[in-house]
Amino acid sequence: MMSNNPYIPMPVTITKIINEVDTNDIKTFRLTFQNKEDEQKFKYLPGQFAELSIFGKGESPIGIASSPTEPGYVEFTVQKAGVIVPGLVTAALHDLEEGAEIGMRGPLGKSWPIEFLEKKNIVVVGGGFAFTTLRSLINYMLHKDNRKRFGEITVVYGARNPGLLLYKNELAAWEKRDDIKTNITVDKGNESWKGREGFVPNVCKEVAPSPKNTVAVICGPPIMIKFTLPVFYDLKFAKENILTSLEMRMKCGIGKCGRCNVGFKYVCSDGPVFSMAELEELPRDF
Amino acid sequence: MTNFKQIEENLKKEAKKLLEAGSVAVVLAYTKGADEKHPQPFAAKKADDVANIIFNEYCNHNLARYIVRYAPGTKIAVAVKAADSRAVVVLIQEEKIKRENLILLGIPVSGMKNQKTGEIIDEKTTGGLTNPVVYDVLLGEEIHTGKPVSPYTVLEQYEKMDKDARFAFWKAQFDKCIRCYACRKACPMCYCDPCFIDQTKPRWADKSPQSHGNLMYHLTRFQHLAGRCIDCGECTRACPVDIPLYLFHKKVAKDCEEMFKQAAGMKIEDKLVMVDFRVEDSDKILE
Amino acid sequence: MAASVLKKVVIEKINEVAAVLMQKGTLIAPVKEEAGANFREIKDPKDIYLDYYNSILSPKMVFFPQMEDFVKYQLAKPKADAKIVEMNLKPAFLFGVRPCDVKSFEILDKHFYASGIIDTYWKARRDNTTIIGYAFDLDKPVDSADFYNTLGIGAADPEGSDIFIVKKDKELLLKGITKKGEALLGELSMLEKADAKDEKYFTDYVKKGKEKKTRFMKVDDKAVAKKYEDIFENNEYWTKMSDACLSCGVCTFVCPTCYCFDICDETIFGKGTRRRIWDACMFTDFTLETSGHNPRTKVSQRLRQKVCHKYSFSVRKYDVISCVGCGRCTRSCPVNIDIYSMVEEATKL
Repeated sequence: MMSNNPYIPMPVTITKIINEVDTNDIKTFRLTFQNKEDEQKFKYLPGQFAELSIFGKGESPIGIASSPTEPGYVEFTVQKAGVIVPGLVTAALHDLEEGAEIGMRGPLGKSWPIEFLEKKNIVVVGGGFAFTTLRSLINYMLHKDNRKRFGEITVVYGARNPGLLLYKNELAAWEKRDDIKTNITVDKGNESWKGREGFVPNVCKEVAPSPKNTVAVICGPPIMIKFTLPVFYDLKFAKENILTSLEMRMKCGIGKCGRCNVGFKYVCSDGPVFSMAELEELPRDF
Repeated sequence: MTNFKQIEENLKKEAKKLLEAGSVAVVLAYTKGADEKHPQPFAAKKADDVANIIFNEYCNHNLARYIVRYAPGTKIAVAVKAADSRAVVVLIQEEKIKRENLILLGIPVSGMKNQKTGEIIDEKTTGGLTNPVVYDVLLGEEIHTGKPVSPYTVLEQYEKMDKDARFAFWKAQFDKCIRCYACRKACPMCYCDPCFIDQTKPRWADKSPQSHGNLMYHLTRFQHLAGRCIDCGECTRACPVDIPLYLFHKKVAKDCEEMFKQAAGMKIEDKLVMVDFRVEDSDKILE
Repeated sequence: MAASVLKKVVIEKINEVAAVLMQKGTLIAPVKEEAGANFREIKDPKDIYLDYYNSILSPKMVFFPQMEDFVKYQLAKPKADAKIVEMNLKPAFLFGVRPCDVKSFEILDKHFYASGIIDTYWKARRDNTTIIGYAFDLDKPVDSADFYNTLGIGAADPEGSDIFIVKKDKELLLKGITKKGEALLGELSMLEKADAKDEKYFTDYVKKGKEKKTRFMKVDDKAVAKKYEDIFENNEYWTKMSDACLSCGVCTFVCPTCYCFDICDETIFGKGTRRRIWDACMFTDFTLETSGHNPRTKVSQRLRQKVCHKYSFSVRKYDVISCVGCGRCTRSCPVNIDIYSMVEEATKL
């Protein structure tokens, strides 16, 4: 009976920790499965999340940052969270070292709608720390088996300063490829920064992707979303073709505990991925 | 006996006057709930709302509880019975509100009833008082009949218990607790945000309704109310599982009164006994 | 009604029935407590309190206890030693549930079995339990807070129970409603066979139950759901409704259809338990995010979530109003807030 219990985490080992930013509060954790059968059952797509679990601290829902095209492990980029409410789990995670064992429940939630995205041009817009499941999506699309399934891929990714950009090596690699247009920007550069300066919404305006057969996938802090959406509406993107991932306080991750309920949806199980058209149907309560 | 209809009329009249003149933003009073026997606290904000105001023997709720909900500086009129007025006094002493922002519509009452059982509950709810301790307008005649009732007579049986018996008593009572927090939410003196029990770092007590967490929650709350509880009985009335919280609060209030010669919320000029050191204070508290 | 088993027993003999059920497993029935009746595990058949109106806490706690342990762990380096808590359930008999509460189990089934994700604990307890429903006493007045008629429920509706009991003077008539219930009736040898008169009494009682009036308004599920979508941002209505609300959790804790919970790791001296515990949308920190953002800081927003969840969101998601009109929230509310009046007022807008 207990084997299918959705509340029990599977054991995983932290095999790699990457410090992503200058401020040392965002790290990527690579987790490998301790049981082969768990690994086989853990079938996910970009956009989904999992609950990371540390006994004594609790669980925390984190978006999966790796792509299913990288077998053998799952990666999560975790920010040490919380000023007002201290994030117990994320703080504990940051104190762990490679080799530590933790728990994981998932994959949870709905992914980016891969079938819907196929044969279309994709504009990926990300801001700051909210780039994790977008990275998963980009790596998935760029994989040699998948690249042909998608049209043009355009990326606009920004952070407050160069030190806060995630996945710097991968960004550099993407910039060298010709099957993806990469636009990296920072609000304010430094002496060594040779790239673009400017806010994400402005860069989107400059890049001005055509709405024709194109889907925009946007994740970022609320303020970025607020100013980026009008840019895409001005470019005549339909609401069905603008996707985002919602954040809401979650606990169970499987649509039972009621915490992330907004209108007739549970963000954890009916989302977290929603189109702007779907969000418009929901009450303004998040 | 209080003429409830008369008070209701006067309350409506005053509320209307205040709202029409714009001298207050809100009048805290009572309105009909599902029926007259189940009245609800009510915030009248327009002169039209006044028609919905009622006052009867079931209007027990301590309206001082709602004052802190309004932004500082808001002009508020509150219908205050004896206990409500004492709560207002403590709120003023603790600088949660300013006296000049309040208009207190005093209500002298006796004969208040428990809405479930119909029994008269004056001794349990008003600390033996019938008249508000502070007010701007009095909506009825002050009541000076009979000899004053001691609020502490109900403690007789409780005080006979020794330390172990009391602990066993409270443990059994708190084991009933479902941690709905109605007691703290109904309490006019419980305004902390966040309440210690909601904090996660440190987490002072488990969230689950088990003995140790329940004890931690209630005993800490008792402690936080020492010398501040004005004996309105709202915690007990709100409790869905009938934990007699008032016994503990009354006992502490009685001890405080004996040690410091001062009951909570009687005079605005008083200083709270737990924050004010006086040379003549009893040393009993150190025992 | 299809030919099914009807048995009877004099009320005094209920102790014998209880004794058998206790032997077979766990018997849960109303017992008298200081504040009123509640469903508890019976240790002594004499504790069963059949003369009750309805329990203070809803019987949902039999399937969805306030505290359900998932994992026990001992903190250690390099890793915690964790053990899944096995449920080891004995067959359970839930005795004396009122029809409106029986209905609440069906509503919660929809939620706990939704989207193909089955809640292990709810299902295990549900499958393991025989529900013995008990009609309201039609000779006694209806509590003024009740409004189960509004939700289409009668005072003596047997649907949803495995066995349904109707009181006839000094006897109880017990009818097998499901196969499970019939089988159990067959095993209780102290029960007598009922005659045709009893059959008629039972059938008439169920019918009369439908005529027993609680507060009633005509509520169309879809229309009321739409209404609440329309007035979701009607601040005047929500502020008015919530001016008195203390934002405590009584209404949700006594409610038979509220299911929100928290998952907590509770540790004392290195030993701990991961468990779920009832939580409530009425609590300030329910939606407080780690970032400090809280979409529902106001009492009005939290009350809105509660009411809309029951009367609007649930209709859209599960096709049912998530309320059975048992009146518990109204009876337990420290400030007499009445959800029936709220809905009534909303429909007038």
